[in-house]
Amino acid sequence: MTIRRLYLAAAAFCFLLPVAAMAQGGRTEVSIEHTATAVLKTDVRIGDFRGLGDDREVQETAARLREVLANDLLLSGLFRVGGPGYPDKELPFNWTTEATVERGSDGVLVVNLNLLSWPDRQLVLTKRYKPGPEQVRTTAHHFANEVVRTTVGSEGIALTRVAFSRGRGDRRDIYVVDYDGEGLLRLTANRTLNLCPDWSPDGNRIAFTSYRGGQQGLYFLETATGQVRQVLSMEGLNLGADWSPDGKELLISLSRSGDPEVYRITPDGAIIKRLTVSPAIEISPSWAPNGRELVFTSDSSGTPQLYMIDREGAGKRRVTFEGKYNDSATLSPSGEWLAYAAREDVLTQIVVMRPGGEERRVVTDNSWRNCEDPSWAPDGRHLVFASDKTGASKLYVYDVVENTFRQLTFGNDPDITPGWSH
Amino acid sequence: MKNGSMSRLWLVVLSLALALAVLGGCSKKPPVVTETAPVEQAPVERIAEAPKPEPVAPKGPDYDSLEPSKYGIEDVFFGYDKYELDDAQMGVLNKNARILKDAGVTVMVAGHCDERGTIEYNLALGEKRAKIVRDYLVSLGVSASKVKLTSYGESRPFNAGQTEADWAQNRRAHFERP
Repeated sequence: MTIRRLYLAAAAFCFLLPVAAMAQGGRTEVSIEHTATAVLKTDVRIGDFRGLGDDREVQETAARLREVLANDLLLSGLFRVGGPGYPDKELPFNWTTEATVERGSDGVLVVNLNLLSWPDRQLVLTKRYKPGPEQVRTTAHHFANEVVRTTVGSEGIALTRVAFSRGRGDRRDIYVVDYDGEGLLRLTANRTLNLCPDWSPDGNRIAFTSYRGGQQGLYFLETATGQVRQVLSMEGLNLGADWSPDGKELLISLSRSGDPEVYRITPDGAIIKRLTVSPAIEISPSWAPNGRELVFTSDSSGTPQLYMIDREGAGKRRVTFEGKYNDSATLSPSGEWLAYAAREDVLTQIVVMRPGGEERRVVTDNSWRNCEDPSWAPDGRHLVFASDKTGASKLYVYDVVENTFRQLTFGNDPDITPGWSH
Repeated sequence: MKNGSMSRLWLVVLSLALALAVLGGCSKKPPVVTETAPVEQAPVERIAEAPKPEPVAPKGPDYDSLEPSKYGIEDVFFGYDKYELDDAQMGVLNKNARILKDAGVTVMVAGHCDERGTIEYNLALGEKRAKIVRDYLVSLGVSASKVKLTSYGESRPFNAGQTEADWAQNRRAHFERP
């Protein structure tokens, strides 16, 4: 309550100490508390979204914007949302959002989206858009990120997407879906196995492993054009590429030497350096956000465990000691959390802990099955993973602050190896 | 009849000379003539029709068209997350190796895993299983070029069930036609 009042008082300034601390340090943001009362949220009123005139498209656009924006704010985990037409009509609101939609003289829709302080209704943010028919959702997502930036001071995830592999057996294709589960799009159709998509930091390319050339290889897909090209195809595995934070190189596991080892390669497919040397399996490399270290899986101890090394392959240290199966690790964008798949009893579950091993907790309980391949959202608060809890493997989003889940993909075909865009 | 056999002979001489010219490059001496001249019709005809020796007709089944299980090859099964061979598995492979050497057939060893563990790790694990099997067969004298390998990880289970018995069926190195 005190914090909410503080937010309110700071509304006119847009800056506030606790808010800034949350955005930058991230410590408050990802405090792992199981009680909902410990999670502090800003209350946003979804106000009047008015379509000016009788034009049906104008009216529908206004309604759609209101719905999508409210959902974006909810899914961010940062807000309680209420107002006319919502279960919570009255909350101690800090802000209200309003919009007008009209058809301009050139026939194009013009959208004004506003953020005002509440209850004193001081205009804090106003944005004007001219969305095409296919851009209404994107417009709402864009404004949602503006609201997050203005009120909380962090970067929103409303425009992010999740790439993944969908299909059965060895016929699976790369798909992409908006972070809210809308806008499903198929990106490959080559009747082979395509998996492990990973977005370049600029979002222009998706690296993935495919058998489209007859044997396993690394491929890039240009997200703007859909064009695919082979980057690397060496004998054996060419698996699980991970873009470096600066986008200048990738990690990959290759078994050209006889068994899977971790390598650094250029985006042109040239090997920069082999980082591991052992007769065991070394796989699933993933960069630390600082680009100086990486985490990977090795079964050199007899069971798959997580290890970290630096970018030259030195300073190897074991990260996991608990359990007999720990795999597919990924560090959060702030570097503060490590998410991975761990075998609990019989099946794998998702575990989140500090990179040093502290505060370990299994986030999926026994109701989940075969939880695999966690991938962080850029907010460091949400992660997507695959689980066949309902029979077919589907994607789920986990909120590490609130300890809640939502299903991201639906349908009968298995969805695996998700990668969240940056 | 005489004319026919003479012209056939001439053809043989010509073709042999041509073959020698192609193979040997420079030898223009025709010792071939004196050697082929006295040879009787039948062998001459055979040489004329097939300058290359005919392949020996395969004895027994046409192995290349069969799944290896049809001529006695058995799959090898592994423990959870394991890719080492124990005595029992080596016993199976000893028998497989004898059959493969006798048949001279090329096979594909495909590594399979149960559904537990990640897609990526299981592709690596399957490759390890296929590789140890190939390495062992090669150590027994099977030609390395006749054992191809691949890994399907967990993507082609033999048994869709979710009990330990089902999973055990899916942890294997499977022999298939390449």
